[in-house]
Amino acid sequence: MTDRRIAASVAILALCAILPPLGSGYVQSVFYIAVLYIALAYGWNVIAGYGGYLSFGQVTFFGIGAYAVALGVTQLHLPWLLCAFAGGAIAAVLAVPLGYLMLRLRGPFFALGMLGLAQTTRIAAEAAPFTGGSAGIYLPPGSNTLPAYYWTLAVLALAMGMTLWVDRSTFGLRLRALRADERAAGTLGVDVTRFKVMAFVISAIVPGLLGGGYAWYLTYVDPASVFSTHIELQTVAMVILGGVGTYWGPFVGGALMSQVSQSLGARFPQGHLMIFGGLIVALLIALPRGIVPALTAALARRSARA
Amino acid sequence: MHPELAAQLTVDGLLLGGVFALAALGLNVIFGVTRIVNLAHGEIIVLAALCAAVVFQRFGITPIELLPAEFIAGALLGAILERLVFRRLPPDPAGAETTSLLLAFGVAYFIVGFSLAVFTGDFRSVAYLTSSWQLGPISVGQSRFVAFVAALAIAGALAVLLRSTALGRGLRAASQNVEGARACGIDIGRMRTISFALGSGVAAAAGGLVSMIYAVNPDSGSQLTLLAFSVVALGGLGSYAGTLIGAAILGVAVSFGGFLGSAQIGQLIPYVIFIAVLLFRPSGILGKSAT
Repeated sequence: MTDRRIAASVAILALCAILPPLGSGYVQSVFYIAVLYIALAYGWNVIAGYGGYLSFGQVTFFGIGAYAVALGVTQLHLPWLLCAFAGGAIAAVLAVPLGYLMLRLRGPFFALGMLGLAQTTRIAAEAAPFTGGSAGIYLPPGSNTLPAYYWTLAVLALAMGMTLWVDRSTFGLRLRALRADERAAGTLGVDVTRFKVMAFVISAIVPGLLGGGYAWYLTYVDPASVFSTHIELQTVAMVILGGVGTYWGPFVGGALMSQVSQSLGARFPQGHLMIFGGLIVALLIALPRGIVPALTAALARRSARA
Repeated sequence: MHPELAAQLTVDGLLLGGVFALAALGLNVIFGVTRIVNLAHGEIIVLAALCAAVVFQRFGITPIELLPAEFIAGALLGAILERLVFRRLPPDPAGAETTSLLLAFGVAYFIVGFSLAVFTGDFRSVAYLTSSWQLGPISVGQSRFVAFVAALAIAGALAVLLRSTALGRGLRAASQNVEGARACGIDIGRMRTISFALGSGVAAAAGGLVSMIYAVNPDSGSQLTLLAFSVVALGGLGSYAGTLIGAAILGVAVSFGGFLGSAQIGQLIPYVIFIAVLLFRPSGILGKSAT
């Protein structure tokens, strides 16, 4: 089972690596956005899907990564790739104390606390003297789609690898135990806080690394777009569509929904939020477990009948 | 700080607190009966505020005159949300909590998108009663004062409804003990719908009053949700008196923070208080039950 998942993942990632350079610039950015959201979905899935802590603020780390590249390139004149790495590292380092603090909040209060954190960092980025305020920062212009794309694809490979590890390791088992019943897991000797924080850090590194690629792709960063709850909303909707807490869920949900999102966003920008918000509600009512578990169950039923 | 200035900021803050209390009371009614944390609460407040601003601009109907209509429209929206969306929860409590949070998140951004499509992203408020009364050294903004009085009147009416009517007893019973209430013949499903209607109606009324004090745009919803939650965190969930006191404290804190720091710092204060209270005093300053 695991070997098949690794083989399939490698094959898909290899296809994603080979195809875009053969296409037009438009095809390349379609691939970029799809891979970006799939990777964000994998990042969110660890703390929310496996850990059961719904975060509505992981976009905080995405914004931090984006600012790491914007500031590193324009102020310190460092290569962008180095800054993008640094963005992931900063996200990881910040996630440890933040995780210890925030994960003491339970259920709805954690969700709200994280939502507020994203707003707070956005306001801080607007107010800080070195971030260019709400006007944002322009990076040197250039056609950066392919470099940003390969960076994002590498982060996706990392995110899928970490998810596979979480899915099959004792760490993942403990994480799911505390999702099912935190108090019982603690009584049985699971170091609850440590595992929660570890999951939170994984879910922070992924957007932290991705943010830098996004800054390089857009060659522009401003607080409203990189700390945007819209990014969070789409990520959450994608994981729900694919299947929360499953290995393939973020991939399926992200691949499908980023296509819908891009064609809708162009034609009907105001309706974007309505459609994603409405879709979350409709999915939770009609298909609460997501596509992947529903398909697996259907396949299992068919093979049982045969 | 000059004592007159401190007195001025305190009065401003207490007047703000009236509207904050109303926003939080709606949240409390819904949570009490359904145990659902309605993250879309702020979006309902903002939707009502935007409606009040546009109605005033087009037809000259003031937010105070519009209050009954706002309440009824909010109550209808709440009832529809409960029947259509929040009734579909899985039976196990952990699953229900997760699903209800995600549902509320979806509803919140559905409303944001709807508001953006209808009202655009412009900031709107109502320029009504813009002058102020002078009481010795302190000036009292007329719009703030009227909003405060209206908020207290609605909060009082809500208290009477919950205390002294059969419906109020049903709601309180359902929030104290679901099985016991059901055994006494109370229709829990109906109480859940009514609590959503009542809570959202109060939120919409609060929104009408917010339009007299603040300029809001469709993205302001999550800030108002956080604001309502920090009042609830301060006062303790389910405590009526606690909510009023929490709202007064928060109003004064926002008033001082906005003056001493900047408008941006004023915006951050509800969040800072929310986190600080939950981390260090999770049962609230006056609350009984920890969450």
